[in-house]
Order: sequence, then C-alpha cells, then structure tokens
Amino acid sequence: MDLTPTLPIPISYVSGRYLLFSIDAVTYLRREHNICGVLIGTLPQIPQQNVFLGLPLELTPEEARLLVDKGVACIVDEAKAQLGMKSLLEEDCRRYLHDLEAQGLGVMRVQSDRKEQQREQTLKKIEAKKAKAKASKASAAAAPADAATTTSTSTTASHKDTPSAVVDLFAADERNTLSPNSRTSSSRTTASQPTMGITPATSYPPLSHPVSSSSSAPLLPAPTVPESYALFAHLHSRGYFLSPGLRFGCQYVAYPGDPLRFHSHFLVVSAEWDQEIDLMDVIIGGRLGTGVKKGFLLGGSEKSIDEVETEAERVDSVRTFSIEWAGM
Amino acid sequence: MADADEDAIRAPSNNPAQIETDLSDETQDFRLLSHLNFLSDPSSGSLPRRGEKDFEPNPTEFQADVLSASRQAMHNALAYPRIHNPKNQIVGIYAPEGPTPPPQVIGESLKTVDEQQKSTESAPPAQSKPESIKPDGKGVGVSPETCVYVPTPKGQYFKTMGQADRWNRVWLLPEEALYLLERGSLDIRWPSSLIGSDSNSESGVSTDEPSIPMSLQAAYACFIGRAGLTLERFSVYTGLRRLGYMLIRAPGWHDSIEQSETAPATSGTQKTATQPPSAQRGPGLAGIFGRVFQWIHDPMSTASTTAGPVAGLGIHRNYADVYRKLALIPWYDPVTAPEPHLDDTTPPFRIVFHVYKPSTTFKKTAPPPPDFRIAVLSTRDQTSFPTLSQLGALLESTPLDPPRGDKMDRLLYMRLRHGYRHVILAVVDQGVVSYLRVADSAFGKEKLYEAKNGPSGTKRNRFSHGSKRR
Amino acid sequence: MPSTQEDPAPPKLSSLSQLISAASASENPLAATTIQILHNLRHQHLWTSLQIHDLPAHINTPKAPGTIPHGSPLDSTTQKNNNILPTSLISGIPPHRVYTHPDEQLYMLEKGLHDDDLRQERLFVIPTAQGQPWSLHRMAAVFDSLAEIRVTDDGAESRTEQSVDPDKASKLAEYYYKKEQVRATGEWGGKRLLLAMVDRGLGGEGTVVYYVVQEGEVKPRQN
Repeated sequence: MDLTPTLPIPISYVSGRYLLFSIDAVTYLRREHNICGVLIGTLPQIPQQNVFLGLPLELTPEEARLLVDKGVACIVDEAKAQLGMKSLLEEDCRRYLHDLEAQGLGVMRVQSDRKEQQREQTLKKIEAKKAKAKASKASAAAAPADAATTTSTSTTASHKDTPSAVVDLFAADERNTLSPNSRTSSSRTTASQPTMGITPATSYPPLSHPVSSSSSAPLLPAPTVPESYALFAHLHSRGYFLSPGLRFGCQYVAYPGDPLRFHSHFLVVSAEWDQEIDLMDVIIGGRLGTGVKKGFLLGGSEKSIDEVETEAERVDSVRTFSIEWAGM
Repeated sequence: MADADEDAIRAPSNNPAQIETDLSDETQDFRLLSHLNFLSDPSSGSLPRRGEKDFEPNPTEFQADVLSASRQAMHNALAYPRIHNPKNQIVGIYAPEGPTPPPQVIGESLKTVDEQQKSTESAPPAQSKPESIKPDGKGVGVSPETCVYVPTPKGQYFKTMGQADRWNRVWLLPEEALYLLERGSLDIRWPSSLIGSDSNSESGVSTDEPSIPMSLQAAYACFIGRAGLTLERFSVYTGLRRLGYMLIRAPGWHDSIEQSETAPATSGTQKTATQPPSAQRGPGLAGIFGRVFQWIHDPMSTASTTAGPVAGLGIHRNYADVYRKLALIPWYDPVTAPEPHLDDTTPPFRIVFHVYKPSTTFKKTAPPPPDFRIAVLSTRDQTSFPTLSQLGALLESTPLDPPRGDKMDRLLYMRLRHGYRHVILAVVDQGVVSYLRVADSAFGKEKLYEAKNGPSGTKRNRFSHGSKRR
Repeated sequence: MPSTQEDPAPPKLSSLSQLISAASASENPLAATTIQILHNLRHQHLWTSLQIHDLPAHINTPKAPGTIPHGSPLDSTTQKNNNILPTSLISGIPPHRVYTHPDEQLYMLEKGLHDDDLRQERLFVIPTAQGQPWSLHRMAAVFDSLAEIRVTDDGAESRTEQSVDPDKASKLAEYYYKKEQVRATGEWGGKRLLLAMVDRGLGGEGTVVYYVVQEGEVKPRQN
C-alpha cells in the first residue's frame, strides 16, 4: 500500500474539473500530501447507496494547483489524451486484451474459490444446526442464500452466514490477484470459455503514462484559483486537511488530521485583505461554528494572489482569526 | 438478475434517527463498509452507524494504526474492480458521432438487399443511401444526444433508461452510459474508428463487436462535457440514481431555448380570469414589490386613509370584517401568476432534471408528471444566492401544485411549507451535493382571522423556506 | 414639585441614555458604542476594573474597503470610514473566566486546579456596532495595537490569593510558569480579544453579543 506512484501524478482535466482515477494516486496523495478531494463515483460492489463512494476523486482547483506547484502532479487534457487510442499499435492492443483476459480469469478463480469456501461453511453450519434439531429451518435459510451467491455478478460475498467474507473481499492479498500487474498465465485456449469482462479504472495501459517519454499527452498549465487559495495553502502548510465547506455553511472545512479519523476543527471563510466584512457575518459564523463545537476561522492574505513571489511568501502573508461564542 | 441491494435501498427507511445524521455528510470510515450487512443480507436495509472519530491527532501508535487500517480499507474498497460476468455481461459501443444505423445496414443498403425478414439486423428498404444517414439521430429514430448503443439489450436497466431504435439496439445518453459503466453494469467498448489498429480479428471476438473496453477514465473524458452534461449535473444524476430515483432530462437542459415551453397544465391548475397581463408587472414574484411600491405612491388606488379610518366608518359587528378591510397590502397569489415561460428563466436557474420517486410507476416512453424538478448549480460558477427574479422565474417555470389532501387542509404550516409551486436546487460544491427545496408559499391566502382556533400544525413542522430534503 | 400619577411630562431618559449623552457629547459617535458596551460589561456582566484605552492613531488609516489596490492614494470614502472605526478598546476583569483553551483546561485538570484558584485576568474588548464596516485589515490592526496599550495598574490583577495551602501554591506556580512559556509558542491560543457588537440595526434593541476572537488557528473548545 505504501507505494509511490510515478510522479508527477497526472490529474485529468475533464470539462473544467480536476479528476483522479488511479487508486494508487488517491491513496498516495492522501497519505503523503494531506489531499483528500471528494469521491464522486459509484462503488461497483455496493452501487445503491451514497455513504461510501468510489472513484473518480474530484479535486478542487486549489488542491490541483497546490499539487502542481509542489511538482507532485501535472494537469492532462483528458479528452485530448484519449485520442491517443487512435495511435495504438496492434501489438499494444493485443497485449492489453490479453492482460485483461488474464485478470478476468484471476477474478473468476478467486470467486469460484470463495464460493467453494462459502458452500463448505454453509454446509458445516447446516450440519451444526441439524445437530440442534432445527434442520428444516436451517436448510430453508440456506437455499436462497446459495441462490444469491450464484446469481450475483460483481458482489461475490453475499452470504448471510459468513459476514467475514465481506471483509475478505477487501483483503490485500486479493487485491494483488486482481491488480493489473498480475501476470496470471492464461493460455489462448481458454478463449473458448468466456472470462470475466473488466472495465479498468484508468487508461494506462493501454495508453502510455502521460509523463513518460513516449507519451504525447497534452499537458495544461497550473489551474487558476480564487483569492481564497492563499488561505487554503496556508492552512494546508500547517497540516490541516481541507474539504469543500458549503454543506456546513462555509468555504472550507479544516480537519486537524485525516477526515477518515478526525472531526473537523474549523469552518473556514476567506476574505480579501481590505474587503468589507459585515460584522453580522462574523457573528453568524461564530454562532454556526460554536453550535457544532467548531471554530469559525476567518482569514486572508495581505497580498493578492499574483503579488507573491514564492509559495512560502504566500503562506506567510496570511493572517487568520479564530472566532467562538464567548458564552456571555 | 435481480439486483438485491437495489431493492434493499429502495425501501425508504422511516427511522428519524437516520434522517438526522446523514451519513453521507461526513467522510465515513471505510472499515465500516465491512459491516454493511445489506450486502450479505438484502432484507435489512440499514446503513452502518457513524464511526467513532477523534478530536485531534495524538502521537499514540494506536491512533496511527487505526488510521492506517482505515486507509487500507478505503484503498481496498476503491481498488475493487468492475467485472462483468459473461453470463449477464451487457456490452455497449461508443458512438462518438451520435446515433447511426448499424454498419451492416450501411453496407447492405448500398446493395439494396431486401431481406428484412431474415434477421433483426437487416436494413429497412427505405434506407437507400449511406449519405442520407447523418449523425443527427433522424435516420435512427432516437435522440441525437445519445452516444452509446447496446446491440443486445437485456436486464432491468433498460426499463428506465435508453431509447430503442428499429434495429433493436438501445441508445443511451451520456449520463446513462456513464452511470451504468461506473456501477459495473455496462461494458462499453471503443468503436473501431477510434482505435488505431483493428485488433478485432485477432482477439477471437466476432468482428461485429469492438473489443477494447473503455476505462472509467476514458468514459469520463468522452461523456462529461457532451451534450450539456456537466460534472455537476452528472453528480446529481448519479447520486439520486444510486438512491433509487429515476431521472430524465427536462426541457431546460440546454442553455439556449428556442421555443418557449409552457408547463403542462396539471389537473390542479386553476386559471383565473382576473389575471393581469404579465407585462404590466414583470415576472410575478418579483413584480409584487413593484406593486407594493406602486401602492405606496398611489394611495388612491386602494382605501385611502385621507377619507377617514381605513376600516371605514360603519358599524363593525365582527373582527373578520375589520381584518378584511385592513388587508391593504397587495400580496402575491401564486394561483393567478402569469403563464410560465421557460425563456423567462436564466441558466443555471432552470430545471434540468425531472425526478421520480422509486415508488412512482415510471414508463420511459410516456413519463408521468415528475415528483420533483431539479435545477443544478455549481458553486464555482454561481457564487451568490439567486436573486428574487431568478428564483421567481424558476418557480414560475414549474406547474402549479397547490397543497391538497386531508393533511394539508388541516395543517396550516404544512400548506405553507408545501407551497403552490416548488423546485429543488441541487447545489454542487466540488462534488458535494446539497439539496434545497424552494417553495412559493402563499401567506396571503391563509387568513388567520378566518381560522376558528388559530393556526394549527405540528410545531416540529414549522415552516421553513429552504429546508434540506433527504 | 412632587410628581404625581397625572404628571403629563414625558418619561425621563433611561440611565444608560443619560450616561451615553453625557459622556459622548463632545466626542465622535463611536464613543457612544464604547460607553454602551462598557455599561453593559459593568452592570450586566459584572466586570470590574474597567478601563478605556485609546487606540494608537496609525491603526486608523487603513485603506478603504473594496478594490482599491495597495499604495493607491486615499480617497474620500477612506476618510468617511475612518470616522466609524473603533478608536478605543475596553479592558476589564470578568467575574469568571470567559475563555480557557482546551489544552490549558487539560493541564489544569491534571494539576487539580480550578478557575477560581487562578489569578484574575484582564481581557480586552473591541466595541463595535452592527453595520459598522469591518475588514481583515482592521482586525489585524486592532490585534497589532494590543502590544502598545498600557494598562493602568489598579492592583486588581496582582491581588494575591490568601490562605493557599503549600501544595496548591506550588501547583499554581507551575501553572504560571507554564503559562508564561506557552505565551510565546501560542500553545494555549494566540492573542485574544472579545468582540462586542451592539445590535443597532433596524429594530435593534441594544443587545450586546460577545465573541472570542483569537489570532491564528486556535482549536475549538469541546464543551
């Protein structure tokens, strides 16, 4: 898990937004650069809910800019990059299809193995239940569960009696089996027997990585960002994790650590240095934050976005104020 | 295949505790995903409870381990592949130029083969020249904005999505195609025209079907930005789809609207003869202020205080009469509002989706009146709250839907809350969607002095203009 | 003449109105806000040892709000806005601690110290009124001016606690030592002010609200 993807990480610029499709990039940026983004995609294993979402990850222009300025990422015009499909060699295509087929076989094997395991476990349970003289009830429960296992396409772990199977689903060893790098030997003879189709998350391969020498991917300049970028960069430089904040009534939400594990500390609103602020807005923000045990953080840079020479100067030119209700 | 988890989520939970703590509000610990028991047990639709989080990082190894485990769980969950079991694999083909007849048809029609009885893929005799087949969808009979076709459609999804052409292929709009691909239900292939080498013959798959699967990344690149589909609109589409709602594009989808579309007059629409010409006061809701000022400057237009008491000099026998006489200030009556015109609205304050509840019987060929109408806003493009005229025009583009029913008749606050017209604003802040319901409440229609026992209604349901809908 | 119930004379001004009109007759309109908040602190919140501090003149020359770039000459709006800037701060000693930083609270808990054990602290208050223009620049200027303010020592702060047992005394000493140390690091919060705002808007009835403003990112209290 702690691997470092090829740097700089290509951020896909799609129709004015910044997206990431590589799980390794997402994990790496979160772990090493405190950049979380927002997951906006459907998780194929549980597609009918909004609590846990999957790839792609949407980055704010601020996040993308920060990563580009740090040299960790670059911006790729994704629509143009996909035109590269046209210049794929026949050999590339064949190898790519071959790899996908191998992955499909791997998935199938994992699934059938697990099905076997589950069946055994179910049988054991049934045996145990029978021993308890509840035979009729137990078999009735097992029958639909078995049917569910065989008919499910993507979710392999759908079994009442083995909740641990769901955990297995995400076990690391399995990921390796399914990862695109696995070179499961598969002879062409299996072509007669259809394998699992796979929709890959990223386009590399078959396209070559945008920063590799062989790539002609169109790189774009660093994203343009709003004036609040200075405050964003300032808080990020101090170790805060930042998320879009409109849902909580502010511009950014600042977390003292990874939002996976920590509650947020601040509702953040940025202002320009001489921008007129209605005092009532300060009070409203303070009240809103105190109501949810968070601070209201008002801040901004003494210098406008193009006035700074270095990123360090940008971060240092910011002043912030934390506001809480005094309780009197 | 019955999608068991879909059914599970469709059964709406009435547990108030779940409504109060919206789990999708905050980043959830992915370790909880393993506790999602509806995965293994479709009969229970319960979601995991909020994970325990800490106030701030501390240097303990325990905390580091827990965080690392959470991240690992997240990584594993996100690395889960989109796989298609060959038994029920649905293959779609990307058509970058829009709907076109099948390639065989183009070829065969040149030879004027008359064998339409033979197979479903045969060409109709009317198809004379390939040049006449333009990518405008006309020759195919489906929306020109569709861009993926499924040659052999099967499964439940096409009950609510897609349009069939005469060759039995189902054409999908970009949001439909991307949604299905993302949830792992559709395997979209690159068309041979976009692949450098024709590898089909080598791959062992039949030559008719292109074989290079489109990645999620490629699908976003190809479909987002196509035919008005912004990422924000897609986030709303897919977010509601995941919860079981059905969505179709509304007439306001495109920023440029040529013909003014009048909203269909529903059974509840009452037309009043006393409706003043809309030109006199502009868009109704905003026009009310104009009328108020007019009234202030022209005291003769209504009861004038110069001639004595406002309530008149006669003998008043009951309070209701007095109150009625005192009702001087004009108020906006949504029922008599001008005919809605879509071209009064300004993007993005325009309805782009019609939404149907999971329980609504939905027929894609004849969609019923929608349960909700949604306008989608991006916080990066629209940074201020809508003006009254923007919001007013948006509301007036929706059909009149007066509060009706037993409950509404009894409860004043329910009536005010429901309003006479209503619309939902989906505000998308960098992938995070907030839904706000805006309703046109007719306070003027609620004569408190006529109520026998004063206003009634549960205190809990106090009126609020913009309330979060979930 | 003794007043009777039939006395047709208008009601007398309230004590507060009298105080304000007497104190601010000659000064700028902001003085009224300052006096009103001082009055509120003294009588409603029972603060003691209240003082008014004039802010150094240079903080009252921020640029006009809005889009005027740095270094451009000041225009008339600047002058207008200058008139309604706070020209003074109030300081005083609250009857109870108004703010304790979460880490300070934890430290006190570990040492077994309570709010009452500690020396009372002087707090600074920015008097403002609703509708008064404000900006980050002004907020920063007020915080920067704190260092230049001299407090008249009236002995209220240096009052020593009586009959303290030796154990507690040593813990207090540790606390004060720690407090002095963290002053530099900002561990227990940065420079601190109380923002007082008088409700003066349409229908404003003179309510004063108080918010703790601290410089920098200071983590929120959890109780």
